[in-house]
Amino acid sequence: MSIIQQHTADTLSDAWRTINIDALDPDSPANFDVSSLHPPLAEITEPEARHLATQVRQLLRGGDAEGALRGCLDSPVYNGNDLAKEAHLATVIEVLQSIKASEMTPMLQRIYASPGGVEALDVLMKYLYKGMASNSGASSSSASPARTPTRMTPQPTGFSQIGSRSLASSDSTGAAMSVLLSWHEKVVDVAGLGCIGRVMTDFRRV
Amino acid sequence: MSTPEVHHLFHNPIADHSFSADRQTLAIARDTTVELYGNVGNAFKLKDELKGHDKTVTSIDIAPNSGRIVSCSQDRNALVWEPTPQGYKPTLVLLRINRAATFVRWSPNETKFAVGSGDRLIAVCYFEEENDWWVSKHLKKPIRSTITTVGWHPNSVLLAAGSTDAHARVLSSFIKGVDARPEPSAWGERLPFNTICGEYLNNSAGWVHSVAFSPSGDALAFASHDSSITVVYPSAPEQPPKAVISINTQLLPFMSLIWNGEAEIIAAGYDCEAFRFKGGADGWQLSGTVEAKSRPGLGEQREESALNMFKQMDLKGKVKDDTQLKTVHQNTITMLRPYETSGDAVTKFSSSGVDGRIVIWNV
Repeated sequence: MSIIQQHTADTLSDAWRTINIDALDPDSPANFDVSSLHPPLAEITEPEARHLATQVRQLLRGGDAEGALRGCLDSPVYNGNDLAKEAHLATVIEVLQSIKASEMTPMLQRIYASPGGVEALDVLMKYLYKGMASNSGASSSSASPARTPTRMTPQPTGFSQIGSRSLASSDSTGAAMSVLLSWHEKVVDVAGLGCIGRVMTDFRRV
Repeated sequence: MSTPEVHHLFHNPIADHSFSADRQTLAIARDTTVELYGNVGNAFKLKDELKGHDKTVTSIDIAPNSGRIVSCSQDRNALVWEPTPQGYKPTLVLLRINRAATFVRWSPNETKFAVGSGDRLIAVCYFEEENDWWVSKHLKKPIRSTITTVGWHPNSVLLAAGSTDAHARVLSSFIKGVDARPEPSAWGERLPFNTICGEYLNNSAGWVHSVAFSPSGDALAFASHDSSITVVYPSAPEQPPKAVISINTQLLPFMSLIWNGEAEIIAAGYDCEAFRFKGGADGWQLSGTVEAKSRPGLGEQREESALNMFKQMDLKGKVKDDTQLKTVHQNTITMLRPYETSGDAVTKFSSSGVDGRIVIWNV
């Protein structure tokens, strides 16, 4: 192969397109901490999340479902470890499951109209999506940390999806999912599509 | 309210549009060309095509007084099109960027223009008489991501920029020898080049689609991808702003916004229609749509006969024809621009959309 041929072959190949030029550029966004763009968020630890959960449960027992819901939506766990986040998700879902279907829309409308209510419903939407994403946890309030959302035991039978769930848990997961879906519908009715957009855009993840 | 003037130009997206000062010429950024349309008896007819870019033209602006057109493109270039008796003559501007140019606007005094880019900088360009070319200076410092939009302050020195790093910034683009010293304002007193007069972020930090100074220049509004608009009222230089008001809406995100006086903002975007916001330093509110829903000519329902119903069922498998939106624009609105103004108030504005329509609205 002549030098010219080799040279053309090199230039004509598109291997250069796969070079990550951003890695070579000191100013590139790949080389700085993206979290420095936002103001830092207060960290919430697992004991704090659990403490909030007991307070919320007290409110629930006292019959103040709206106060309980507002209480957990006003203190979302944005900055915390997975245990704290899971614990708070379990609290939110427990509250959601305890509210009757007929009370959902009026309650959401009251929250939406109150100061800071738009933000609260955005937080609720984040938890709804998080609850849907983790197919475990939603069924019981005592979400054990061992049940990670994406766990799937491969089964030799080939029925990995079906085999990994017991019948009982799939029933309760289905029930929890239907609660989340009906809440989702009601929240979109009240807070609009903008609410979904904000969940996807927001840098603060629950 | 009278009906809006609708011009359906073609079936391609319109990235940006700009009218000449006399409203007789309309420049459209279509694919890799800039198309000029002339007003012929209330319709716009293709008059000229300006070919000079070899990638998608992202933005375009006609300077109202000089008639110069500036265009920028993903090919990393900006061109200034000078009107001559023989037609428009392009001049290449050396932007010195190695990513796409995304947005361009003339300063109000037309001596400079600012080009936003994917290179995390804004190129402020001005004409150097002695060398007979356009020179660019880079505003670079705090920008961490692509600039999606820029907006000029009426004093032609301050520049607002929105970026995908979710910040709206106010920067000084003061160029010695070109600009006169600006009057001190709430944004700053001494304004050397690249002074950062303000950096604003809203709660959920969606990336910014549009920025605009109010007609007086004493307030800044920006629209972000979290379906919100945020209005900032500065208090004094180096001080936290007097008020930052964020309105989260139930709607889809806004792509573009314009001020109508100091107390109204018109914004439009993915909902395919324009919305009004009303308010002031003590609060803003979504007050409704610009488009009247019960317009004659749009609600014309085809007769609801059984024959027609079965025909529709046979042809489309459904009874209702729901392929048409109820809005004039049939797709996302990409840009709003004032069309006719009286003082600070906008009496007519124009919108361009992904559906290839230009619509002139009465406010």
